[in-house]
Amino acid sequence: MALIETRDVWKTYQMGTVKVDALKGVSIAINKGDYVAIMGPSGSGKSTLMNLIGCLDTPSQGEYYLDGDRVSELEDDELARIRNKQIGFVFQTFNLMPRATAFHNVELPLIYNGTPKDLRVEKVTRAFAAVDLTDRMNHRPNELSGGQRQRVAIARALVNEPSLLLADEPTGNLDTKTGLEIMHFFSELHRQGNTIIIVTHEREVATFANRILMIRDGQIESDEVVSEQEKVQNGSKL
Amino acid sequence: MIVWEVFKMAANALRVNKLRTTLTLIGVIIGVASVITIISALDGLQQSIEAELDVLGPSTFMITKFGIIMSDEDFHNALKRKPLEFEYLDAIREGCDLCTEVAARAFSVAEAKYREKRMREVYVAGGTANILNVVDIELDQGRFYSFEEDQTRRRVAFVGPAITEELFPGQDPIGKEIKLNNVKFEIIGIAKKRGSSFNDNEDKVIFIPYQTFSKYFGDRRGNFVIFIKAPSIDLVEPAMDQARVVLRAIRHVPYDEPDDFGMVTADAVMAVLNDVTKYLRLGLVGISSIALVVGGIIIMNIMMVSVTERTREIGIRKSIGARQKDVLLQFLWESLILSLGGGFIGIAIGVILGKVLISLMNFNMTPSVSAILIGLAISSGVGLFFGIYPAMKAARLQPVKALSYE
Repeated sequence: MALIETRDVWKTYQMGTVKVDALKGVSIAINKGDYVAIMGPSGSGKSTLMNLIGCLDTPSQGEYYLDGDRVSELEDDELARIRNKQIGFVFQTFNLMPRATAFHNVELPLIYNGTPKDLRVEKVTRAFAAVDLTDRMNHRPNELSGGQRQRVAIARALVNEPSLLLADEPTGNLDTKTGLEIMHFFSELHRQGNTIIIVTHEREVATFANRILMIRDGQIESDEVVSEQEKVQNGSKL
Repeated sequence: MIVWEVFKMAANALRVNKLRTTLTLIGVIIGVASVITIISALDGLQQSIEAELDVLGPSTFMITKFGIIMSDEDFHNALKRKPLEFEYLDAIREGCDLCTEVAARAFSVAEAKYREKRMREVYVAGGTANILNVVDIELDQGRFYSFEEDQTRRRVAFVGPAITEELFPGQDPIGKEIKLNNVKFEIIGIAKKRGSSFNDNEDKVIFIPYQTFSKYFGDRRGNFVIFIKAPSIDLVEPAMDQARVVLRAIRHVPYDEPDDFGMVTADAVMAVLNDVTKYLRLGLVGISSIALVVGGIIIMNIMMVSVTERTREIGIRKSIGARQKDVLLQFLWESLILSLGGGFIGIAIGVILGKVLISLMNFNMTPSVSAILIGLAISSGVGLFFGIYPAMKAARLQPVKALSYE
């Protein structure tokens, strides 16, 4: 069974008196262990789709199953539990707590699911080791470079060992070199067995994934497999 | 567990915004302090008056010129009354067989001096020789003055323990000469300690014979009080009736006119006092509560600003799994810490101010436990009441909207 399955999902926003359909019947399936890029121009609905997949929002119509759970029917607090346990977010703007240390930022998801203190320290330390940032644990975000901040965010996304890693334009605020490092890191995480979905409008970034979903005007336009040849061409092969 | 972690987050957020936290605290402190000042001052006032009244035994009643004054009109009418006369005592003894003890007392304030030591304000009571039989004051050392000493206007004094402690530390005062407004008196006896360490007014009294008093301190008939003791509590009412008949006759009060004097029992005074302080309390506490409401509104205002300002933070917290109640609790903790913190400081300031206020009025007080409990209750109440709306606003934010908030 697919890890993610949407069936004819619609999302409609009320803009004043006008109704805007951001998603018009999207049906996709993503398996465990996949590495998928969702691509599309701005306004295409790719962020809306990511929000639905990430359980930050619920569809207006249609069904969404995450790991067999019918998420589209769930209450706020159950969605919060899923975001905590099943999903790790990585945002374009990092979204770290500016006044907390890197350590506390990564610890936060564990606090919200009631993990005891000693286990938290162990898991956070392991997550920092995974992103190779152990020596920066006690710094605040403004004392870190953009790439380091994004790695803290990735550590935070990984700390609960989620079944899905969701990255929204993860390289958008980084220079090309640092962006590449982060993308290579995602590929490494995928190789270790993580399911990853990244949302991007850049083809070069998207080719790091194995599969590209093109979205336009709220509908899936194409669903292609990235060839080894294109990966080599873009330098996105591990 | 989570509650404690969320509490730490709240405390941390307040620590980071030191100036804002301090200003908000001041708002609450002013509110709580003003309510507590009023409550503890009123409590102190009541305690003092109760202690004074305690001197009267339950089977004793008093006759005064004024009685219990309830209005300006009462007061003006009472001012026109003839003063009470010392001769009434004999008339009452004669005509009231239920009046087992009839005594009288007048009051004045004087300066007491022994050698270099002085007390600027002591109460001098001119009392008949049997006054100790009607008021609750006991002999500790020496003796009380006799009927003969009263008749012959001897300058003898029976002093309260607060006076001997102050003027004769480590000495035996009996036989020594004390000066009251520069008139020499021989100390013949000392009263037992009555007042608490907080209220020693009752122990600051010096009794001298009534006739001596009227010679040296003037004929203060305005505060002249006749004390009458009935054989038992049940016989207080009939004894009052008998005494009333005697007084009306002697003062020629027409049968259709009301008494032109007052008859008072300790119970009656307490009842009136409670009545008066009840309204005083309601009024003053009501007024000072306005400051408290303002403090609460400040909290609410600050929390609203804080929620708006931290919308993105709330979005982040929600995206990594904070539930509504986690966010609610965090913001509620913040307003509770503010209101309770301000409450504690406000209570301390209020109790101190209340003490100052009451000592300015020449009374003393014990710190009121009820004031402290009321202070804690209202400040946590304010925190919850004014904090719940901003906290709910924060908890109900949609994660997507909160995250994209600029």
